[in-house]
Amino acid sequence: MDSVHLSQQKRHLERSIFSRILGRLWGDKEVRILILGLDGAGKTTILYRLQVGEVVTTIPTIGFNVETVQYKNIKFQVWDLGGQTSIRPYWRCYYANTDAVIYVVDSVDRDRVSTAKEELMAMLEEDELKDASLLVFANKQDMAGAMTAAEVSDALGLSTLMNRQWSIYKTSAVKGEGLTDGLDWLINIMQK
Amino acid sequence: MDIFSKPKFFTNNTKGENAELLVELNSEYRDRRKDAVKRVIANMTVGKDVSGLFPQVVKNMQTEDLEMKKLVYLYLMNYAKSNPDLVILAVNTFVKDTDHVNPLIRALAIRTMGCIRVDKILDHLCEPLRKCLQDDNPYVRKTAALCVAKLWDLDQERAIDNGFVTTLQDLVSDSTPMVVANAVIALAEMQESSVNKDVFVVNVAIMNKMLAALNECNEWGQIAILTSLAEYQPLDSKEAESVCERVVPRLQHANGSVVLSAIRVLMIFLRYLRNDEFTNGLIKKMSPPLVSLLASAPEVQYVSLRNINLILQKRPDILQNDVRVFFCKYNDPPYVKREKLEIIIRLCNDKNVDQILSELKEYASEVDVDFVRRAIRAIGRCAIIIEEASERCVNVLLDLINTKINYVVQEAIIVIKDIFRKYPQRYEAIIPTLCQNLDSLDEPEAKGSLIWIVGEYAERIENADELIENFLETFLEENSQVQLQLLTATVKLFLKKPSQSQEIVHRVLQTATQEIDNPDTRDRAYVYWRLLSTDPQAAKAVVLSEKPPISVDSSADKLSPGLLDELINNISTLASVYHKPASTFMGNKAFSADAVRKAAVADARDEEQIMGEDTVTSPTAPAASAPKNVMADLLDLDFGSSEPVSTPVMSPPTSNSKSGPNYSADLFDMSSDMSSGGSDAFGGMGGMSGMSGVGGLNIGFQQSQSQSQNQNTATSGSSNAFGDLAGFGGFGQQPSAATASQQTQQQKPTQSSTVNDLLDLF
Repeated sequence: MDSVHLSQQKRHLERSIFSRILGRLWGDKEVRILILGLDGAGKTTILYRLQVGEVVTTIPTIGFNVETVQYKNIKFQVWDLGGQTSIRPYWRCYYANTDAVIYVVDSVDRDRVSTAKEELMAMLEEDELKDASLLVFANKQDMAGAMTAAEVSDALGLSTLMNRQWSIYKTSAVKGEGLTDGLDWLINIMQK
Repeated sequence: MDIFSKPKFFTNNTKGENAELLVELNSEYRDRRKDAVKRVIANMTVGKDVSGLFPQVVKNMQTEDLEMKKLVYLYLMNYAKSNPDLVILAVNTFVKDTDHVNPLIRALAIRTMGCIRVDKILDHLCEPLRKCLQDDNPYVRKTAALCVAKLWDLDQERAIDNGFVTTLQDLVSDSTPMVVANAVIALAEMQESSVNKDVFVVNVAIMNKMLAALNECNEWGQIAILTSLAEYQPLDSKEAESVCERVVPRLQHANGSVVLSAIRVLMIFLRYLRNDEFTNGLIKKMSPPLVSLLASAPEVQYVSLRNINLILQKRPDILQNDVRVFFCKYNDPPYVKREKLEIIIRLCNDKNVDQILSELKEYASEVDVDFVRRAIRAIGRCAIIIEEASERCVNVLLDLINTKINYVVQEAIIVIKDIFRKYPQRYEAIIPTLCQNLDSLDEPEAKGSLIWIVGEYAERIENADELIENFLETFLEENSQVQLQLLTATVKLFLKKPSQSQEIVHRVLQTATQEIDNPDTRDRAYVYWRLLSTDPQAAKAVVLSEKPPISVDSSADKLSPGLLDELINNISTLASVYHKPASTFMGNKAFSADAVRKAAVADARDEEQIMGEDTVTSPTAPAASAPKNVMADLLDLDFGSSEPVSTPVMSPPTSNSKSGPNYSADLFDMSSDMSSGGSDAFGGMGGMSGMSGVGGLNIGFQQSQSQSQNQNTATSGSSNAFGDLAGFGGFGQQPSAATASQQTQQQKPTQSSTVNDLLDLF
């Protein structure tokens, strides 16, 4: 990591020593994760559950949230993008340099699971995301009538994915279940 | 390579810089992203289009780094308009920031949201705004208050429906003066654009809240509160007094704008005061702060002086004893000196006139020609304002003439002409001195002035004919102003000393009618010729009629009371510096010449009403309105009967003037010209006003009309002569009054043959 850092420095020789020192202090490479999914799937709740470990009251996200989440000595820069129809076209602005995508699905909302599939497939076709891992959270497992992870996986057609490292976990952001399992998988994948 | 050099935000390769920035903005390294944002802002400030980076820049908005946040906010304000759809990407961050623990960030967020003038963001603005208006921190509240005005500007209905206007009105009662002041600023601005004008009506309760906050807020707040206070209409004199008492301490403020705003409130409230003692005390208190304003920078001085000029026109008793502070310093810029001179003249009275005169004399020996001229004019105005001082003024002017400095002499002569008009027959003794400088005159106005003096006092100047002759040598080359004066002076000379100047007058009239194309000069020559040929006595009555003395009140820079009151209401604004109502230069009216003209006409009407019919036409006012009207009357009287004129064709005077038909054709042309484009020609003549022969003519005519109702037969004859002039019908008639015709007969032998010829023609 340090050598990478130094070569970066060489390309920016004109920078002052001051900013170089800052670069050393703050320049640690961040692992960038996007949380995507339809509106109301629970993306913002998951983000803050990961960051502060608590359930916060949320409002529909018009735009995005970004937080740094420290998990097992790894700093994740986690982006939570609004899922409303009007904002979905702008997801693509956030794809660059993304290491992993967490796709959150409302397991109770059977009506829109097909929409969720369409959005997911469209997203995965983006060139900028071809190296990103995919972690699917079948969320809201605490609620009655939730689809199982396998059902969600089928509905999204995950098994048809080619050249993609992916996994699906059943989660409940409200109860905090399943989230760490998913992250553990991610870390495992990325360290390989 | 110098690694200590400053960070470079501008790179030389412009090609693909945005692409490079795009990559940098998405960098995994925070410091590189920040550098990239800085470079984006740097490009933005030099006008490069970086709007394409909008989503990438906005991605860096959510950060704990305040510097970075401010930069991104700055970017947002600039480019939100060009990316209206993408702005919603920023909404969530804004909303979060308005909940931030740091009040600075809360305020920054709500301020920036207000500055993003995109409809889509309005939906999301209301909730945070409501929150911020109730914020614990006064800084956030005051920022939110201003934000309401911004929302109002975009969508008044939304501001009302969300109850923001009411909340804002409540903020006037806030415990923090800063919030009160900003609520007042916002409300006052909203009031201007509101339809019902009910957003901000200053009542007793609001006024008291504002007065309570007045002393505690910063200068901007104080100015806003004072401005709004000026809108308040006190119920009675007592209430006005109490407001004045609360405002008076503001006169001590170091900021000139606060002082002037306070002065404005006091000047307005003075109208409501009934207690003379209090009024006088107040006026005394207003002088020192105005004097201290003159210790500021020249630009501030200028603004102050323009305002003081207004204040003095309204309340001449202010600054009565402070004329010394308006004396010019050697290093004052010219524009300040000019305004100071104006004020010195306004403050001039019989007590300080000596002091002022010696000061003005000093100014007249300075090097700045324009200033010297103004100083000399000021001396003349002193003489006209204060009769007792006129002799001293004349002496000073004579001293100045003796300096023999060309422009000093010329200006002094112009000024002395005015003094002669004000005090006729009093200072003829100085005429020889004036005439000594005849040769040094090269400016039309100075020349014209001296010629006028020579003509006016021809009977006292022995060699008047020589002097006129002297001037006549260059008659054709002269400026039309000088030509007109020469024409009039020659006729005066002829009427006063017929024996000496027959030949001159004949020559002048002939030259003027045949060789000069200027319609003013030529037509005046025709009028004189006709007058002289029909009835020299009438000519005398017209040309040599007693001219009313000029008065200083009609000086061009005196504003009409209506306009003055409006400008007093706008003290410390641009209107008070321009001395023009704001409507003439603000908003979309600024470029409408129509509006300006309308205002000018309304103004002129005001002036007319004030000046009345008895007051005198101004000596300097260009094409003053009063004479124009009289001219119009004259036009009706003179040429109303010239219906036979069917072809208003203008033909140049023919050289063969001896033949009768040609002559009448010329006269025909003259009258047709006057009746068709007449008002214009007379408007132009009106410009010469009282000093000119035609001005004298109209006054003389008025007089003769009034006198003709008495028993003066000679002048009734003259009014008949006017009737003759009116149309062809009258041309053949002899003056009806027997005495007049007799005199005409008596005059005949002494007149030149041409005049006789002319008479015979008829």
